[in-house]
Amino acid sequence: MNIYVINGPNINLLGTREPEIYGHETLDSISKDCIKKGLKDGHDVKFMQSNYEGEIVEWIQNAIKEKIDAIVINAAAYTHTSIAIHDALKSFSGFKIELHISNPHLRESFRHVSYISPVVDAVVAGLGANGYSHVIELLADLQKSYK
Amino acid sequence: MNNRLLIINGPGLSDLSRFNEFGHDDLTLEKVQKKCLETCESLGLSLEFCQSDDEAELTNYLTRACKEFDALIINPVSYSHASSLDFDIYTSNIETVTLQNKPVIEVHIANIFQKGVDITKPIKVSEGNVGFVSGFGIHSYELAIRAVHRKLRKN
Repeated sequence: MNIYVINGPNINLLGTREPEIYGHETLDSISKDCIKKGLKDGHDVKFMQSNYEGEIVEWIQNAIKEKIDAIVINAAAYTHTSIAIHDALKSFSGFKIELHISNPHLRESFRHVSYISPVVDAVVAGLGANGYSHVIELLADLQKSYK
Repeated sequence: MNNRLLIINGPGLSDLSRFNEFGHDDLTLEKVQKKCLETCESLGLSLEFCQSDDEAELTNYLTRACKEFDALIINPVSYSHASSLDFDIYTSNIETVTLQNKPVIEVHIANIFQKGVDITKPIKVSEGNVGFVSGFGIHSYELAIRAVHRKLRKN
């Protein structure tokens, strides 16, 4: 299984940005952990991060072209604004998971609307940095039951 | 002693046939319970799994979660939307549990944001410090149990 884990703006600051909300783990350590977990089950996990909306759209388009099996997307603040990412995800027919480190529904009201949620298969939020590895672990089981 | 986990299933979940349209075929609550038991056993958690359509009974379960359990997973169904059910009682109970620093995760079988929902209208999910897992079918529970287990080991 080929999996893209796409991360949006400011996720590169993990570990230093508001650690009381996002924790102390860095994106680098999360990605290493996920790639290792994926390899164990025979999955190829690619981690990416961009602060640019257009680049995220291009990665999703690339996932369509490359026939990637699953996208895990933490669109961060673009979650609440980006119709472009919403549209791109709609065209991707593989398994799609929206992920957030904190639970946006418990935070400021401007984070309560997600343009991503209606176009994905599943939503995971508020499990901290561990959310990533939990999702990667589960994808093997999902592959069995959905394909 | 094993950590004790309570899984509460809310109104209407005794019949899961309506989830067929979301691609979660032939789900029954018994199957969900069996899968949860297996996962808990493999992780060394003891599990109580319950379902009720009755608001008062659900409130009792939440009160018990505060007193007798180390972690809570709840599929609140319509409690998640500010609905005819008493949303305030639900949120204040969830807050009481999380104030004790116990892991609480809200789960849903289907992606509750997917069908027929106006995305410009925010959905009220549980207030308080909770995790949220929606749309993995039976695996929503499994992911939540694993997350609870990892959190309990850290505490």
